[in-house]
Amino acid sequence: MSMVEKRVQKGVERGQQFEIFVDGEKILAYEGETIGAALMAAGRRTLRYTNKYKHPRGLYCGIGLCQECRMVINGVPNTQACQTLATPGCQVETQQREKYSTGLTG
Amino acid sequence: MKESEFAIIGGGPGGIAAAIVAAKAGVKVTLLDENERPGGQIYRQFEKGYKVTDSKVLGRDYEKGLELLRQFSSLSDKIRYLNNATVWGIFKSRTLAFARKGTSSSLSFKNLLVATGAYDRPVPLPGWTLPGVFTAGGAQRLVKTERVLPGENILLAGTGPLQLVLAHQILNAGGKIEAILESGNISKNWLRILMGIWGNWDYLKEGWRYLRHIQKAGVPLLRNHIILEVHGDGQVEEAVIAKVDKSWRPKPDTERTVKVDTVCLGYGLVSSTELALLAECEHKYELCLGGYIPVRSESMETTVPGIYAVGDGAGVAGSKVAIEEGRIAGVSIARSLGYISDADASTRIRIFQKHLNKFNRLRRVLDEMSVPGQGLYELAKDDTVLCRCEEITLKEIKKALADGTIQAKDLKRMTRIGMGACEGRMCGPALIEIMRYQPNASPEGPGYLLPRPSIKPIALGVIAASKQEE
Ligand SMILES: Cc1cc2nc3c(=O)[nH]c(=O)nc-3n(C[C@H](O)[C@H](O)[C@H](O)COP(=O)(O)OP(=O)(O)OC[C@H]3O[C@@H](n4cnc5c(N)ncnc54)[C@H](O)[C@@H]3O)c2cc1C
Ligand code: FES
Repeated sequence: MSMVEKRVQKGVERGQQFEIFVDGEKILAYEGETIGAALMAAGRRTLRYTNKYKHPRGLYCGIGLCQECRMVINGVPNTQACQTLATPGCQVETQQREKYSTGLTG
Repeated sequence: MKESEFAIIGGGPGGIAAAIVAAKAGVKVTLLDENERPGGQIYRQFEKGYKVTDSKVLGRDYEKGLELLRQFSSLSDKIRYLNNATVWGIFKSRTLAFARKGTSSSLSFKNLLVATGAYDRPVPLPGWTLPGVFTAGGAQRLVKTERVLPGENILLAGTGPLQLVLAHQILNAGGKIEAILESGNISKNWLRILMGIWGNWDYLKEGWRYLRHIQKAGVPLLRNHIILEVHGDGQVEEAVIAKVDKSWRPKPDTERTVKVDTVCLGYGLVSSTELALLAECEHKYELCLGGYIPVRSESMETTVPGIYAVGDGAGVAGSKVAIEEGRIAGVSIARSLGYISDADASTRIRIFQKHLNKFNRLRRVLDEMSVPGQGLYELAKDDTVLCRCEEITLKEIKKALADGTIQAKDLKRMTRIGMGACEGRMCGPALIEIMRYQPNASPEGPGYLLPRPSIKPIALGVIAASKQEE
């Protein structure tokens, strides 16, 4: 994606800026920002690939319901990027397939 | 185990308004909400770290919401507020189960209010699973509370006033909108709208302001248009749009392709009824109000005594209605617990009811304009995924339907539709519409995908580490 700034500067001031790691690559995030938002700001839209057809999926409902934003966050699979706040240095991985072995119900 | 006199699920305008009136009457209230802070969808607050420097970012309605939130927090000695608490089940024994901070607890209650709100009506169409397709509400959350634009060139497609709100917010944030597609036909209904809005000047002014803003920015608002398909290699690259007739079916030779990198789908909202369904409250079908919604008495009580439902979760009608309904439920419960007299309660309920009637007049008009046309549910093709979680296509559903399945719950068993992580929230509403239009549809309707606990994905470890609520 191109380099157009997606973070809106108007109307709010952000807190502390820090780096997080997405599939090993550094991206910027701010205090109070969800991982999903930081990824959208960085133009990284694919958050996971589906089990059956290996299709890419991204942020969809943004309010914790659709489960499309499930990523591996700090080693924990099936973590919702739209509901998880970024923290300095956190490790995020694109989820390649659902890891039900960790015991997710529903 | 201690029993709560009055437990509320949901900290949006409905739940909060109920908590305030009940607590003021002396009721001991417990309010559970899954978010860090109270406010629900419309009064969602910024996270720590953000400082709002321009209150216009939030909108006027938000200011009013802050007043409600202030009252709520000033009653903190009377209201036990559990944030980050996700309710995942309700059981016959009048207990509910919730996950919080890595453990699961249960809470028994005498009265319960379900105020769980609503979410964007999901509409399956070719390409709707591509990264870069957002629900209007999801895009709105990004722009409004995260201050991040969802993309560089955005197409808004859907119906109803929330689209205009989103457009206004995107433009305010400096974003670019290619066009807004309104599948309904607003213009013909102007007279009716004005009559409905009579006495609702606040709403009228806001709507007018948004329209003016959109016009001034030169964004085309295309009435009687629909999005047919989204294309792209790995993410959104273009969308196919067309003119539609009254039933929202595309008119021949009106198709065209627009280059956009982002699509926001906003076809109105549907109620979150999973918990009321689990509690075995009777539901009825109301297309304008968001599908199956709980049957309620005038005091907002469902068919299960002591269980009440208000706000968008009990029929989509907006925050103002949610507040008045919440107040009615709060007063009714205070009366049933003996904190206020019948006479006092009736007087107060009459006042809330009057406000409610005023807002409802407007809502009815807006709803009628944006009731989804049948064509909306003919957009999916055979290979379109209906169930995002289990990746079940329309073709698989058609096959089960051709085999004579007419109940949604049977279809779930046969195809696994609705068995995935979202618990049928993303496929259920469209599935019901598709089934309703089948030639062999059952006259009583297809029913719904019966939810089961847990209604939100909870790690098994959390449920195993459960404890009794102190
Ligand atoms: C994404 C979105 C954007 C919207 N934008 C606008 C707008 O700009 N203008 C406008 O006028 N209206 C808007 N609306 C509509 C408006 O938000 C609602 O009409 C209003 O918030 C309804 O209030 P409520 O109390 O019924 O529900 P909500 O405000 O939705 O509150 C419900 C609360 O319950 C919580 N909850 C749900 N299930 C559980 C559970 N199982 N456990 C714990 N907590 C739970 C939710 O997280 C939420 O906090 C929007 C709605 C949505 C969904
Ligand atoms: S985007 Fe839907 S749950 Fe996160």
